[in-house]
Amino acid sequence: MRKAFAALLLLLVAVAPDSESTDPFLAGRLAMVKDQIQDRGISDSRVLSALRVVPRHLFVPPEYRSQAYADHPLPIGEGQTISQPYIIAFMTEILRLQPTDRVLEVGTGSGYQAAVAAKLAAEVYTIEIFGSLAANSARTLSSLGFRNVHARQGDGYYGWEEKAPFDAIIVTCAGGHLPPPLLRQLKNGGRMVMPVGGPFMTQNLVYVEKDRRGSLTQRNVLPVAFVRLLGH
Amino acid sequence: MGTLGAIFLLSAAAIADEIFLIRLLSLRFWPYFVPLIISQAMLGFGAAGVATHLLRWRIARSPERVFAWLVLLAAPAFDLAFRASQAVRFDPFLLMWDTSAWPAFCGFFLLLSAPFALAGGAVVVPLSFGMGKAGPVYAANLAGSAAGALLALPAFSLVPTDSLLRIPVALGLVSGAFVLRAPEGRLSRGRIGPCVACLLLLFLPPPAPSMSPFKDMAVALRLPDAKVIAARSGPTGDYRAVFAPAMHFAPGLSMRYTGEIPPQAAVFADGELRGAAPKAGGPLPPGYLAYLPAALPYRLVQRPSVLQFGLRGTEGVLASAVNGASKVTAVESAEEYVRLIRDDLAPFSGGWPPGVAVEIRTEGHRTYLSRDKRRFDIIELADISSGTFSSLGVHAAGESFLLTREGIRAMLSHLSDRGMISSSGWLKAPPRESVKILRTFREAFTEAGLSPASERILLVRGWGSFALVARPSPFTPAEVGRARRWCETMGFGTVWPPPLSVEEGGAEERAFREAVRAAVTGATEGSGTELFDLRPATDDSPYFYRFLRLGSLPEFRRLLGNQWVPFVEWGVLFLLLSLAVSLALAALFLLLPPALSGKYSTQGAIPLAGYFSALGTAYMLVELTFLKAGILVLGDTIRAATAAIGGFTLFSGLGSALSEKSGSARTMRWIFPGIALLSAAGFLCLTGASSYLLASAGGWRASIFVASFAPAAFLMGMPFPAAVSGMSRGNARSIPLAWGINGFFSVSGASLASVAALWGGFRLSILGGALLYLLAGALYPRLFPR
Repeated sequence: MRKAFAALLLLLVAVAPDSESTDPFLAGRLAMVKDQIQDRGISDSRVLSALRVVPRHLFVPPEYRSQAYADHPLPIGEGQTISQPYIIAFMTEILRLQPTDRVLEVGTGSGYQAAVAAKLAAEVYTIEIFGSLAANSARTLSSLGFRNVHARQGDGYYGWEEKAPFDAIIVTCAGGHLPPPLLRQLKNGGRMVMPVGGPFMTQNLVYVEKDRRGSLTQRNVLPVAFVRLLGH
Repeated sequence: MGTLGAIFLLSAAAIADEIFLIRLLSLRFWPYFVPLIISQAMLGFGAAGVATHLLRWRIARSPERVFAWLVLLAAPAFDLAFRASQAVRFDPFLLMWDTSAWPAFCGFFLLLSAPFALAGGAVVVPLSFGMGKAGPVYAANLAGSAAGALLALPAFSLVPTDSLLRIPVALGLVSGAFVLRAPEGRLSRGRIGPCVACLLLLFLPPPAPSMSPFKDMAVALRLPDAKVIAARSGPTGDYRAVFAPAMHFAPGLSMRYTGEIPPQAAVFADGELRGAAPKAGGPLPPGYLAYLPAALPYRLVQRPSVLQFGLRGTEGVLASAVNGASKVTAVESAEEYVRLIRDDLAPFSGGWPPGVAVEIRTEGHRTYLSRDKRRFDIIELADISSGTFSSLGVHAAGESFLLTREGIRAMLSHLSDRGMISSSGWLKAPPRESVKILRTFREAFTEAGLSPASERILLVRGWGSFALVARPSPFTPAEVGRARRWCETMGFGTVWPPPLSVEEGGAEERAFREAVRAAVTGATEGSGTELFDLRPATDDSPYFYRFLRLGSLPEFRRLLGNQWVPFVEWGVLFLLLSLAVSLALAALFLLLPPALSGKYSTQGAIPLAGYFSALGTAYMLVELTFLKAGILVLGDTIRAATAAIGGFTLFSGLGSALSEKSGSARTMRWIFPGIALLSAAGFLCLTGASSYLLASAGGWRASIFVASFAPAAFLMGMPFPAAVSGMSRGNARSIPLAWGINGFFSVSGASLASVAALWGGFRLSILGGALLYLLAGALYPRLFPR
């Protein structure tokens, strides 16, 4: 009984609407969305709303919590990072997630990207190879009441065959190639995005589309912003 | 004699410590960060001079005792400082964002600088307090440094990496034996204690070098079921092969590949990914290797004989095999790496494919091109993006003489009638390597009378990487058509010659097309490439793997705000940071003595500061520029570093020893112009004869290399002790400061040598060194006012 009461209390705290009085990070989060996301051209109102709601500071290690809304990635352990807010916003927007979409995320990491996607899509399936990160992120997501996020530990390279196909796939860890199993598990008409670069050094985001007949096309999307800026 | 013996051994220990720290820290950090730490640690030498100056009244009471304790404490410090530094947690990347990382960083390098400060003190105290003549003391210091550098080379092969620091500890311990007796001749019990403690340190397990959690190998080792299946270390690096079921290495793989990537081992050099070895790939090379952009040349020539520069695990050779090569010759300069791949990994990889004649040559790339006259159908360059495909633009150490105009000309002479040169790399925004190498090809071809180069180049791109081929004869329309059809099959695209139907594509694709077109045709640059120095590489200013223009930094920040971080080349920034920090610390330490004493006198200070800062800077400019030229002539960095550091310190030591006899004011008038002339002439002779030397035997090359700088190095050993000797007769109190200034500017001179080579070329560096020696010559008489 006492455990159930405690759990209920925890849930209430976790899902309580943000306010200045209960969430000291709210101002920082709203500033992050405006300065780092909106002002850099992210305009999808659903993505912006999701970023305003998801408490990023709960997904970073306590020692970095004060920097949770700063404009850079942060270490989360195991040599992995939580991406810079802009990268997460950019990847989410480009996937044009719909409320009915089933999304696969490869590389749960902190769980923050899964949480943002879960605000926009029907179901999010997320895989993390490092046991400690998988456990931490599952705990955080669960404590925040994300019931449409399904997490497991494993090698994300092979995707989640039993739950395929997916409307969208987000690969959050950089790699040297687009894994063939993931391309197979992408639904016709589906979208996939994947970074190329080191943990702190995302230089390219590769966007892949599978058309209705199953043909794949790709383009590098992040340098678009860079080159456009150079032209100013 | 005891003093000189202790100085000799301690100097050997200090230089060995520096060399071993480079290896140990390379395992922990990225290569471009290590010189920053090492150079700042070396500031300990300069700090010793300042500390001696500040404490000179106390030291003067018993310089012998101070000297003895500096020697006795330095030995254990080589071990203890490193052990303590391993407990300091920080990561270089966090320095950019996390201000709390800076105190840890400062603590880290202060710890590492402690043994150098003690060792430096053990030289400056005898110099300053009449414990010996300046010439022999300085000569013992230089000769010890030469011995330490020469000793380090075999130690890398004979001693496990984590035990390397036992060598400076042992050398330090032996040096302690020279100071165990008090001046009155009896053994001092108090001095025996530290020696015993130091001896005990040798029996402690060595500290395991920690590794940044973000390094490639650290991440690989944390993968489930990861294990090291082979390891080797030697002068060229620490090599380990790691197997994990979750390893999937296929850089730039086509999206049209639908099969599996077989289990692989990843091979790491100093913790950075260097290549892959598919399990049992030898008997049956895996099919995915035909789906990489680098397979382009194999679609243009059947059953080619292939020459590969750089061994990428077993994957490079297997890729040639799966794409139809008849024979493969791979040239790799790192002997330990070759043995790891060829011998240690053979049970895992299954050796080489049975149907292909595979030959591995352990040799420098340009040396090989000069010594072997065979011709090949395909010459592959593996290292255009970086030493590996993994580092994506953060590669900063080293330089390649293969990707220069002269290197390309040498490769052209090894091509068969149907032969071509190919290279591949990652696409970057804005384009860099691709543009630089295309411009270098264009210029080399034009020089060779192969115009227009645009008809002899073919470039394709995948989703993340590009491949280019270039050859002496123009590509025929049929060949271009074949390349286009292959691209279509693979989901790649031709970039040059331009696509038949120009699809607009994204801005990145358009920018890349435009940059390639401009580079191939010689049109005006654009598309952001102006942010980088993409002039064709030459032997005088080789391919450095980093191209950032210094002046473009504000532009980066202005355009991108905080987004500039991923796009900038951090190797260049850390180099500049190293120079700035060493200059700032030098200024701080040198202003400290007058600030503490309250005496601000510029009389005599300006010539003193000018003379010794010019000496410190100039010595490093000359030595390091010869070292870099030696990489071309001797074929690899390690041999060049050993010959240059060992040779310079040895000959300078000889010069120093003789400076007492020949260092009269009259003679010194000729020494400085002599150094300027001999260093410039030696360098020009060395580089002018490089094509002849490259074709010669190794021993002859090394002899000529050392001979090219020996006369200059001999004279370079004289100015410091000659000045100190003169000062000891009237201005002895300034000797520690002179040592400090020289030490500080040696550190900044090392950074300056790299900066000058990067943006100005080697000749400019040598010229800078020569001019500084002339400046020192002009200041020399003013050190001793009548």
